[in-house]
Amino acid sequence: MDDFSQVPAVHISRLHHVYPGTRHEAPRLALDGVNLNIPTGAFFVLTGPNGSGKSTLFKILSGLTRPGLGTVSIHGQDLLAVPNRVRRQMGVIFQRPALDKHLTVLENFQIHAGLHAIPSHQFQPRLDAALAWSDLQTRLHTRVGTLSGGLARQAELVKVLLHEPQLLLLDEPTAGLDPGGRMAFMSTLRRLQKKRNVTILMTSHIFAEAEQADLVGILRQGQLLAMDAPSRLTARLGNEILVIQADDPAAIAHTLTNRPELSWQIHNHELRIQGTQLPTLMADLLQAQRARIQTLAIKQPTLEDLYITLTGRALTSDEEEENR
Amino acid sequence: MIRATLILARREWIRFFRQPHRVIGSLAQPLLIWAFLGAGFSPSFRTPGMEQISYTEYFYPGILLMLMLFSGIFSTITLIEDRAQGLMQGVLVSPAPRMAIVMGKVIGGIAIAGIQTLPLLLAAPLLDIPLTWSGLVWLTGGFLIATLGFTALGFLIAWNMESTAGFHAVMSVFLMPMWMLSGALFPLDHAPMWLKSLMIINPVTHALTLIRTPLYHSPMELLTSSSYWWAGGIAITWASACLVLALWRVNQVERGLDPARFISQSPKGPS
Repeated sequence: MDDFSQVPAVHISRLHHVYPGTRHEAPRLALDGVNLNIPTGAFFVLTGPNGSGKSTLFKILSGLTRPGLGTVSIHGQDLLAVPNRVRRQMGVIFQRPALDKHLTVLENFQIHAGLHAIPSHQFQPRLDAALAWSDLQTRLHTRVGTLSGGLARQAELVKVLLHEPQLLLLDEPTAGLDPGGRMAFMSTLRRLQKKRNVTILMTSHIFAEAEQADLVGILRQGQLLAMDAPSRLTARLGNEILVIQADDPAAIAHTLTNRPELSWQIHNHELRIQGTQLPTLMADLLQAQRARIQTLAIKQPTLEDLYITLTGRALTSDEEEENR
Repeated sequence: MIRATLILARREWIRFFRQPHRVIGSLAQPLLIWAFLGAGFSPSFRTPGMEQISYTEYFYPGILLMLMLFSGIFSTITLIEDRAQGLMQGVLVSPAPRMAIVMGKVIGGIAIAGIQTLPLLLAAPLLDIPLTWSGLVWLTGGFLIATLGFTALGFLIAWNMESTAGFHAVMSVFLMPMWMLSGALFPLDHAPMWLKSLMIINPVTHALTLIRTPLYHSPMELLTSSSYWWAGGIAITWASACLVLALWRVNQVERGLDPARFISQSPKGPS
């Protein structure tokens, strides 16, 4: 954190967003007073359960939605007052592909250059520089529809790099990629951040990605529950946690009620215990509750553990699939 | 703005030629309808004042108009796909004015309609239609107004649609009837009163007048014809209104409500 510039790339204050209701649906509060500062040059990952408000925050930051209340500044400029000026500084990659699959890679880049008013004489040098971050050098005349998922994502990245943004917004950019593609994409982002001092704001369900970030924010029900470096976030759970799988974890937890130094959460058939002297506790439980316990293990807490603790929910099957 | 508009129009153009089924479908369907209805109705088409022309000839301006309608529809139906794929979001977050999205579609639609209409214009001498070069200029004016109206109207409809199936439904019950009741298929003069009323208030009827009249009348006759100017005024008003509404609609940004009014009563859980 100390390496980052003092001027925040993104400053969000008291951000509220209420979706207007319809005849069949009441208005819904999507963001409930979010305050957020992302330093210039930071790699920030925003995570949270489905419906936590991530997409709404992303839509507001990219200028697609205007919030009911609150302010958003990008490099000190008010996004809501001068959206077009701010957009020039931002590169946005959506979860859904924003390339025309009937057009070639180069034709898509030319459209982007036209929309961002990139002077013609600057197009080729910028293209060469942006292509250096990808494996697309020999695929410029290939139709986007025939590219693999990983290359299509790379094409999205090259496209947004053409207008040399200072801030990259990415909405679950690695969704649908295989683990190799994900790692390569993340590694490119990290190099970009380091070499060009680009600020990156990315939403993700994948904790392996969040672990690589400088800062992680966890959103739930429209509120930012935590934001810090991944190591500091996981340190909140202590050095270790004891995870017990059981048919009736509540019954095991009941035996711990006289141990004030311990805290725990139950999610489905899992009991997660934080505290001190966990190896002793593990031995005690194995002796006293053996019949109730299916598996138990002591492990170092991860972001996923913190996420489950803070959001009070485990990953959905889809999210688990992505985390594999 | 101009560069963004032209680059989006160019995209329409490239996409059109990259989809051969679209080229064939949008050109072949009107030609088949023209050939079949022309052949079928010509022997029995006898309407007072038009005894000297065949149904194939009568139907000719209607088919030109159909090509314009189809190119407007096919250009704007891609909007639904663009929004579903996220491509439109990419355009919306760029600094280009949103007006460029509408104008890119309109100019792209006009260019595509133009390239489709051109071969059909070659059929005019075969039908003994006395189309002159100056008549062609006036016809081009009518073509521009009609295509602009159809593309802007299609944009307005497609912008609010979630699926292409919904657009097809609107096309069947709204856009095609607008064309059918324009005088393309049968003359207005001898239609029952209720139908005639519908045809008169249909702006496409007047757009068709701008297509049909230059085929048979000299520029001087057009300049002195009040009914031609009247039709032009209505068609231009219709096309302009559709364009203004499309521009207004595309500039609408989703806006959240003031939370003070809802925080206490609304359930949480969003996006």
